[in-house]
Amino acid sequence: MEHPYLFLTSVFGLFGLEEWAAHHPHVTYMWFAMIILIVFGWLAGKSVSLVPKTAQNVFEVVISGMEEFVVSITGEEGRKSYPLLISIFLFVLVGNLMGLVPSFYPPTASVNTTMALALIAVGWSHVVGVWHHGFKYIKHFLGPVPLMIPLFLPIELIAHTARVLSLTFRLFGNMMGHELVVLILLMLGGMFLAPLPVMAMGVFVALVQAFVFFLLSTMYIAGAIEEAH
Amino acid sequence: MKKETGKNLRELGYFASLGISVALSIFIGLGLGLWLDKKFDTDPVLMFVGLALGIVAGFSNIIRAGKKGKNY
Repeated sequence: MEHPYLFLTSVFGLFGLEEWAAHHPHVTYMWFAMIILIVFGWLAGKSVSLVPKTAQNVFEVVISGMEEFVVSITGEEGRKSYPLLISIFLFVLVGNLMGLVPSFYPPTASVNTTMALALIAVGWSHVVGVWHHGFKYIKHFLGPVPLMIPLFLPIELIAHTARVLSLTFRLFGNMMGHELVVLILLMLGGMFLAPLPVMAMGVFVALVQAFVFFLLSTMYIAGAIEEAH
Repeated sequence: MKKETGKNLRELGYFASLGISVALSIFIGLGLGLWLDKKFDTDPVLMFVGLALGIVAGFSNIIRAGKKGKNY
């Protein structure tokens, strides 16, 4: 289903790129999410002082609270992966919440964005595994008995592929479904504010899906750090 | 965030993602088998092998979760 009107597409239309922007709304809105995050990061880091003031206080509580949460799951070794994890969380959150603004398209409602994020998260968990265990990381894929390696290797490979796909389709399905329901209700009963309850629930969905994505990538990294079974 | 809440959330995330990973494992195995069948021209054989592997992979997820759940 096509969006009736997209704000950034008409902005790109000013530069003669309307056709390209209309076909890639997830790309343009992803750039917009990146701009929002960069501006917020710049605002938060602009005047860092030892005794935090108002804005810095808020950011510090959020960031350090999440950091302790990640470290409680992965152990002290996971602290190095924290910047990636919090970036994923904030990006997915901003991307999801964009779906609630009229004439905005949530970048996470496109399977391209979510699959890229899932590949980055799962790929990084393997990088962390190789980093911690060296060549012995392959033991994670071989099972307990050497004789059963030909059986366990494909099974583990399938299970690890399922991780990428489950991360991809959970986020994509939730956001695309929400977007579709809002659009259909807007078409059917927009005059009577029919999409309003669904949009109110969308705030909750956006938060939960961002948190679930973040939590599962944290747990995959924790699984790569721990010893092979 | 309290430590107990964090642990509960972690378990919630793990067990909530169990169902979808079982379903996806089966489909990945099936898809892999079908693709290899087309590639090597051995029509039904590799599909069944892939399907069996996918089902085993899916259920190994459940068994692993069961072992994890024994701690409670």
